[in-house]
Amino acid sequence: MKTSDVRKQRTLAAETWRRFRKNKLALAGMIVLITLVLIALSTIVIDLVTDNAIYNNYVIKQNLRLRLQGPSKAHIFGLDEFGRDILMRMIWAVRYSLFMGTIAIALSTVVGVILGSIAGYYGKVTDNIIMRFMDVLLAIPSMLLATAIVAALGTSLTNVLIAIAISYVPTFARTVRASVLTIKDQEFIEAARAMGASDFRIIFKYILPNSMAPLIVQSTLGVAGAILSIAGLSFLGLGIQPPTPEWGSMLSSARSYIREGWHITVIPGLGIMITILALNVMGDGLRDALDPRLKN
Amino acid sequence: MKTTTEELIRIENLTVQYETDDAVVHALNAVSLFMRKGETLGLVGETGAGKTTLARSILRLIPSPPGVIKSGKIFFDGMDLLSLSENQMRAIRGNSISMIFQDPMTSLNPVMSVGDQIMEVVEAHNKELSKAEMEKQALSMLEMVGIPSSRSHEYPHQFSGGMKQRVIIAIALACNPTLLIADEPTTALDVTIQAQVLDMITALKTRLNTAMLLITHDLGVVAQNCDRVAILYAGQIIELGTLSDIFKRPTHPYTKGLLGSIPSLTKEVRRLSPIKGMMPDPTDLPPGCKFAPRCQFATDICRQAVPPSYQISDTHQVRCVLANAEVHNG
Amino acid sequence: MAEPLLKVEHLKKYFHTNQGTLHAVDDVSFTLNKGETLGVVGESGCGKSTLGRTILRLHEPTDGKVFFEGKEITTLGKLEMKNIRRDMQIIFQDPFASLNPRMTISETIGESLLIQKIYTRKQADQLRKRVLELMDFVGLSPRLVNSYPHELDGGRRQRIGIARTLALDPKFIVCDEPVSALDVSIQAQILNLMQDLQDEFGLTYLFITHDLSVVKHLSNTIAVMYLGQVVEHAPSLQLFEKPLHPYTQALLSAIPVPDPDYEVNRVLLQGELTSPVDPVPGCRFAKRCPYACDACRKADIPLKEVAPGHFVACTLV
Repeated sequence: MKTSDVRKQRTLAAETWRRFRKNKLALAGMIVLITLVLIALSTIVIDLVTDNAIYNNYVIKQNLRLRLQGPSKAHIFGLDEFGRDILMRMIWAVRYSLFMGTIAIALSTVVGVILGSIAGYYGKVTDNIIMRFMDVLLAIPSMLLATAIVAALGTSLTNVLIAIAISYVPTFARTVRASVLTIKDQEFIEAARAMGASDFRIIFKYILPNSMAPLIVQSTLGVAGAILSIAGLSFLGLGIQPPTPEWGSMLSSARSYIREGWHITVIPGLGIMITILALNVMGDGLRDALDPRLKN
Repeated sequence: MKTTTEELIRIENLTVQYETDDAVVHALNAVSLFMRKGETLGLVGETGAGKTTLARSILRLIPSPPGVIKSGKIFFDGMDLLSLSENQMRAIRGNSISMIFQDPMTSLNPVMSVGDQIMEVVEAHNKELSKAEMEKQALSMLEMVGIPSSRSHEYPHQFSGGMKQRVIIAIALACNPTLLIADEPTTALDVTIQAQVLDMITALKTRLNTAMLLITHDLGVVAQNCDRVAILYAGQIIELGTLSDIFKRPTHPYTKGLLGSIPSLTKEVRRLSPIKGMMPDPTDLPPGCKFAPRCQFATDICRQAVPPSYQISDTHQVRCVLANAEVHNG
Repeated sequence: MAEPLLKVEHLKKYFHTNQGTLHAVDDVSFTLNKGETLGVVGESGCGKSTLGRTILRLHEPTDGKVFFEGKEITTLGKLEMKNIRRDMQIIFQDPFASLNPRMTISETIGESLLIQKIYTRKQADQLRKRVLELMDFVGLSPRLVNSYPHELDGGRRQRIGIARTLALDPKFIVCDEPVSALDVSIQAQILNLMQDLQDEFGLTYLFITHDLSVVKHLSNTIAVMYLGQVVEHAPSLQLFEKPLHPYTQALLSAIPVPDPDYEVNRVLLQGELTSPVDPVPGCRFAKRCPYACDACRKADIPLKEVAPGHFVACTLV
């Protein structure tokens, strides 16, 4: 047994977690994200339980007399241009960014995985057709693509999700295709074929489970990008519509009031920044933890 | 064919460990051996026995962390290699002691021509030579290993596996080292190419009077190329002797087991006699004799304490309590 | 005389590469009887691995026919081929690469049973029982049932590979260098296991290896391949006692024998092993052969039976 084999018996998942844990930065990112998820979940629960009472009375309630008031003891983040409490709006905005980002990427992943594995496994003409189509999608800047789709379909939540999902499909298709190409020539695939396994079984039971690493990393980073895209679309007025709080739209509406209060632009901006940072750092940590070459 | 019987290298009680997060790997446990000038010592062992660790320890190429040389001495040409500074070691590597590795495919730099790679090692140790002289030396090394010097500008990918290994040998011998460590030099090569390369190595080392530590798991290669043999098991030398000592009078049960488990070209064998079980986990070695769990002759004495190495003849040592009987009888 | 289990007729497998057409397997023919072992030996580039895979249609043959139990399998459709795969299996060289790193031992062995519908997922109990039985056959302890390949050593991994092919109750197994990646003492264990399984289940082996000493031990007949062609084919004992083809002689003499007194009559070959890309007519070994003459380079030399069961492709014999 070489020194690299000497390790307590662990599953691959446990081993990855052990390596991930050592990366303090990545761990911090993960804690931030878990906190955000909990915040988002609690807002949903609160709304259900109080029948939107808190939402109506604190998040969208306007108080024009006190508009643009800076941070104070009563309102930690201050009030926006309609006198609404920014802290409450920030908290209620989390679920849109986070969950929408995740759902969009989840959609994207499913479609990307299907297209990428078919292209990678069957190769030749099929590969060419699928990947050239992906290239076309990639050639269009993602914001432009998302904008075009939303403009065509309308500015509902669903359409924003679809738009973002579509713009990320090529990235996932490429990632999966690369993994499939690497793995499909390995001997255990040949062994499965020798037993009479069908193509479907080989792709879904043998190849894909072994390509999880790049997919997981790409998804995590993708959620970060999706959140940015949602914020961007909302900023342009194509995403979430007011009075629903969303960081991008909050930034957008605050544009005209920059000189009258730093808090209405800086706070939502920071929110976006911290979330993206946490996701990126966690994604990097995951990639390092999953990379077999870093085994010592 | 030894020209002198002077001692070249003596390793005394070398203990090397790898300290990983989970456990400590006891790679080498009090290994002692010596080599004379010009002779070939075969170091035989299976995967995990510690052969590569031993080779790397001599050249102090053990990655540290996690590797640690816990104790022991390596005397080479009068100096204790373990006490030298890194600069002093660098002067020795490639110069007085060279090493060739198993995989010729990855040992050469793909973006340098083979001639340049030989010149590189000549230049590192002979700064006083002119460029023309270095080039001449590089070309003569190529010819010595059977590669026409017209190919010195070619790149590694233009050569086959066997020829790449020859280039590696040329690089290793370019500065005329007194000791060549060859770590499974022909394992990755085809049988007919292996024969060519081994013949060439033997011819060269005889001509240059280089001693060779030939590390291998192949007893056939040992039988045809070595003067003396050391058998390594779980980080310990369990038998050491001349070629006929080991092949004609194998004493340690592991050695006997190893010889009995090889399918033979020359004898009719209906069924092989493998050694049951496996080499112990180097993080969890048994307290006494490391082979005791697999040994059909093991007694309680064997399991309690590591047996010392008994000298059963001038040339033959065995680390087994059974050998004690031989000492009294022999 | 019983029908041979496997009959290979003029099998060819060519690959198209940038440098030209690679004649990996070029016109190979032989028969193999039930319960016997044919050893196929040769060095890199001789085509032995490709031969094994082409017989199983893991590579589609370029030309030629393969008959299994009298039935031609080279022209079968996908579904029929799937059924035949139960009877014709393969054990791979690299025990690590041939196992799915994400599946436990029992899942891997169970896969064979599920794919060939010997058991369905609903028959979990019978499946598990059969998996444990198979593990016992190959000497794997039942406590390893939920282990992953990376937790085990080479010998155990190879036993999994054997158990998984055994699960299908095959008649014929292509063994592609099954012990080359293992330590010497483990090799002996696995070779003994394969012998025992052959005796117990009446298996027929095509044993591919570069190690002639291993193949002498196990085979009834041996075929020596060089650059895609069979150059000598003889009963095991005869090949070793009286090798006729110069390449066989060189190969045998190159093997290091673990006996210091052994007289080495080394036939040292000049030159390197090449690849059979767009080969010209004539003996492919002529370039390295110490006895080559003009007759050797004119046209391809067919296999000739020079003694009962002993075939050689050489002008000098």
